[in-house]
Amino acid sequence: MNEFVMALGWVGIYGPMALGAIGSVIGCALAGQAAIGAMIETESGHGRYVGISAMPSSQVIYGIVVMFTLNRVVTPEAAAGMFGIGLLCGLALMFSAIYQGRSCAAAINAAKAKPEIFGLSLAPAAIVEGFAVFAFVFALVLSADLPGVK
Amino acid sequence: MSRDSYITLITSLPYAGELFSVSQTPISRIQLEARLSFLTPEDATQLQAIEGLLWWSSHSHETSDAEIAVETKRLLADLKNEWLRQLIRQRMEFRTLVAALRRRRRGESAPDLHTDWGFGRWLGVIHRNWSEPGFNLERAFPWVLEANRLLREEDHLGLERLLLGEQWRSLDQQGEGHYFDFEAVVAYVLKWGIMDRWSSYHGEGAVRRFEDVLDDAVGEYAQMFA
Repeated sequence: MNEFVMALGWVGIYGPMALGAIGSVIGCALAGQAAIGAMIETESGHGRYVGISAMPSSQVIYGIVVMFTLNRVVTPEAAAGMFGIGLLCGLALMFSAIYQGRSCAAAINAAKAKPEIFGLSLAPAAIVEGFAVFAFVFALVLSADLPGVK
Repeated sequence: MSRDSYITLITSLPYAGELFSVSQTPISRIQLEARLSFLTPEDATQLQAIEGLLWWSSHSHETSDAEIAVETKRLLADLKNEWLRQLIRQRMEFRTLVAALRRRRRGESAPDLHTDWGFGRWLGVIHRNWSEPGFNLERAFPWVLEANRLLREEDHLGLERLLLGEQWRSLDQQGEGHYFDFEAVVAYVLKWGIMDRWSSYHGEGAVRRFEDVLDDAVGEYAQMFA
């Protein structure tokens, strides 16, 4: 039983990074496809489309930071908490990256048609980013209070 | 098909804009065809079949109503996507109602229910209410009375404007929630067809106007050497 709990602890350590990376891969790919489509249609402003398409990459960075914060000696007392924080933070990061990718794709499509709304069209993606930051910050806060930390 | 399958294709298409504010399509048919090469072979075939059925220009004058009804049923049987099936049903019902208005205007009596003169749920209602101005379908089709009036007054351009506007609005409604999928592509291509049709009237109008201006200009000098 102890081994299983310890294994969960290791899942908790690597989970935020892995799930954040999966989310960033999908999110950047979605927004990137939109950027490529917009480049076919427009004559200028290509750089900003590529810039927007990189927005969902922040989640993997948050995941890496949470991974290093949780990266400690796994003990039976701390393993369950590490698993809970790591997995749930990872899921939050993954979904936020995917949906941010969709928001960015919509922003690129809208900004291509009406360049004057470029800034405002990014607001939904920024709001999604805010929720990813919540998940990230509170994962760091809670990880400091895990029991049996050595 | 995922709802994000055609992100690149959709973002590569120019904004459709407002129907009656455009004097030409935002993209030429050749360019549109080039962009549609992003479609998978299956989706491209489906789109071609849908366009072939829904645009009058793709039917020859010899194509009978019964043949179109048979083609509609065959396409509906082939399609698995419920959104596309619903789109075709609605459009064919729309065309059936317009066809009924035109038949009545020509002085024809109610079509026989046993013939395939139209398509959809309203054939019986139209038959029973042939003498009513809107076939008693005003609730389902709020535009029908206006269409009947324009037809009676022989305002063909006004009628075309009303019908194209209704089709545009219907596509807007049906396209809600579809941003980067095949349904969004179909809605865009059908809207392109509506814009193409409307802008062709602009072209014809411009030619007529040019001829009028030319006649006026020449008219001033017509008697010069008489």
